Amino acid sequence: MKTYDAIIVGSGACGGWAAMELTKKGMDVLMLEAGAHVDPSKDFHHRFLYELDYRGQGAPGLVRRYSGSERNYKIMIDDVENPYTTSPETTYRWGRSRCLGGRTLHWARATDRMADYEFKAASRDGYGMDWAVSYADMKPYYDRIESFVGVSGAYENLPQFPDGVFLPAMPLNCAETIFTAASRSLGWPSTHRRLSQLTRPHNGRPACHYCGNCVNGCDVGAMFNPIAVTLPPALATGKLEIRTDSVVARVRMGKENRAQGVTYIERATKTAVDVDATWVILAASTLENTRLLLLSEKGGLANSSGLLGHYMMDQVGGGGVTGILPKLKGGPARLDDGKQAGITIPNFQNIDAKTQRKEFIRGYVMNATGGQTEFPQFAANVPGYGSEWKKEIKSRYVAQARVWNAGAEMLARKENLVELDPEVKDAWGIPVLRIHFTHGDNDYKLIEDFQQRAEELFRKAGGEVMPGPVSPAGFPGGPGAPDSRPPASGTRGGEPSALSAMEAPRRRRPLGGSIHESGTARMSVDPREGVLNSYCQTHDIPNLYVFGGNAFPSTGDKHPTLTMMALAARGCDHLLAKTK
Amino acid sequence: MDLTRRRWLRLTAYALALPGASDFFTAWLKAAGPHDQHYAPPDPGLLKDYVPKFFDAADFAALEAFTAILIPTDDTPGAREAKCAHFIDFLLSSATGFDTRSQDQWRAAMKALRETGFHAADAKGRDEIVAAMARPERERGATHPAYFVYRLVKQQNAFAFYTSRAGMIEALDYRGNSFNVTFPACDHPEHRTV
Repeated sequence: MKTYDAIIVGSGACGGWAAMELTKKGMDVLMLEAGAHVDPSKDFHHRFLYELDYRGQGAPGLVRRYSGSERNYKIMIDDVENPYTTSPETTYRWGRSRCLGGRTLHWARATDRMADYEFKAASRDGYGMDWAVSYADMKPYYDRIESFVGVSGAYENLPQFPDGVFLPAMPLNCAETIFTAASRSLGWPSTHRRLSQLTRPHNGRPACHYCGNCVNGCDVGAMFNPIAVTLPPALATGKLEIRTDSVVARVRMGKENRAQGVTYIERATKTAVDVDATWVILAASTLENTRLLLLSEKGGLANSSGLLGHYMMDQVGGGGVTGILPKLKGGPARLDDGKQAGITIPNFQNIDAKTQRKEFIRGYVMNATGGQTEFPQFAANVPGYGSEWKKEIKSRYVAQARVWNAGAEMLARKENLVELDPEVKDAWGIPVLRIHFTHGDNDYKLIEDFQQRAEELFRKAGGEVMPGPVSPAGFPGGPGAPDSRPPASGTRGGEPSALSAMEAPRRRRPLGGSIHESGTARMSVDPREGVLNSYCQTHDIPNLYVFGGNAFPSTGDKHPTLTMMALAARGCDHLLAKTK
Repeated sequence: MDLTRRRWLRLTAYALALPGASDFFTAWLKAAGPHDQHYAPPDPGLLKDYVPKFFDAADFAALEAFTAILIPTDDTPGAREAKCAHFIDFLLSSATGFDTRSQDQWRAAMKALRETGFHAADAKGRDEIVAAMARPERERGATHPAYFVYRLVKQQNAFAFYTSRAGMIEALDYRGNSFNVTFPACDHPEHRTV
């Protein structure tokens, strides 16, 4: 049997980056992807809702089976084939994809650097554990990734929101301009959302054409995803072999405490196949990585610390305000949602002694946008009917406005964990994860504070609050988004309306998530305190690396993908140094 | 953004290197021209010859009339042109085996609507019935036994209309889902202050 230099399990943001780094350095790499091959030129098209049988909602059977919409369900996961279970108190919903490229095919593209106030938060406020890396360790990797993938953004010189290597920022629409003015008049920082979305041609890829279809798969590769950005150069080396429809079941151990390879099951034939490699990299998404470690040895592989599976986190979602900006009412139609962007208001609390709050620790990032959207979700909430009602809908349609929570830091707690379900198996007979996940008091207080600030911003902008969905189309929880669900569940996907969200903390209704799961194999300096070292190499098994959000000892308040990729890039450098 | 010849050539070279480039670039070039509604493809006619399957003829005719009162044809198309009643019937008939709750809800709604006399009423009478049904929406304390019917039809009718070409493009002039060379920045100085 051929022994590859490296096996990479998963083809998402981290797996794709690792494949590119390692093959460019001459390694023979086998990439195993559980999902199907995706071809943007065939699979991604601009389609209006009226061109779809179910106007985006999906056929009744498909809606139950997939978490996506009628446009993008094929790049989501089949929940029937891939179940997971939860403890009775858990309301968490695990958003997943299984296809070449993974979740980056429909991600929100937010590309933010974490700062030392996040990496070293425990030293500042005493909660949890510091990361085993600092911003200085991460900066070269942030630089490398941003330079390659292309990130649009504006330079702000904010210590809590470090600048990167940016392409020109995307222009602001009218609602975003008004919210920027409102934010600054409140003394809050504000900037363009930083997105892996090209504002000019970059590394052979065209600029964004502002169609607004990002969450349905970019047809030209103007937003970052592995199939457009990292896998083509990796394949061009001739050193990368990709096997899709290959469901990895476990890591196989060999002699001298080294991983020998993995066993995968062919999706269609259900045949088990063994493949060997000198190095094994798990990059199958955070919780899937941990599931594989749990599957690979009784008690969990690389689990001498006993902490594998523990400290599961996801940035806290939910809350927000929706309504209209009267300044924009009755204006002309404009392309407002074509970039699927908005403004970012970085966290400005608990970043130093001066901004410290007594009520809670850590913070959150706010986003705001507005204007025309594909579908006026508010319409049925406007009283009346007839021609006057139609005119009112059109008048408000261009004046829509939203402030939403981009992700609040969730505190790590050991009792939030994943384990193998003793009974339930997936379509290939592999035990599934059982998730135990609840929010703590600080999480609720953060969302309570966010809600107050969001309303303050909205009022300052002159907005009129209306009940209705908070997240705009294309964003988590919004219509057409991967995690969209009919409202009323009170958890993610059915995110609470502005009014219900305001009541939520008092009633302690379940909070939402952000599809930013992390933890469960945290990094540590001391092997007794974590599963991975600062290079995402397992403490216990020297040729086994885990790339994803697993290493995070805390969530921070930034979108995590860039940091996951930077950790993967740093891990690849470490691995390559070991091969010399 | 001014597109110089050199820039066009460079963009062309980049785009042509991609799979599906010719389709994409053809559409993109069209988008560089003056904006009109032609970028939105015509209605594919999914409901053109649709025969109602869920509602009987009388209920369907009543539903179609009701949706047209809520979203009438005026200077832009209304629910009738958008075939909103057809779409609602399509959704409900597709729900067989998956969502009997919604189907039961709509059967109950049509029964309640019939009991208001809507089915048998003339146009003026129907307008009066809808006005009475809708009153609780605006008047605190007002009630009507068929208010839930009004809300149910309004909600689904709004979705059916504004996701149709008639509603999305002709009534609202939606600009997205298109190929654009640049993103239009806010050009209103008055928006820069609050």
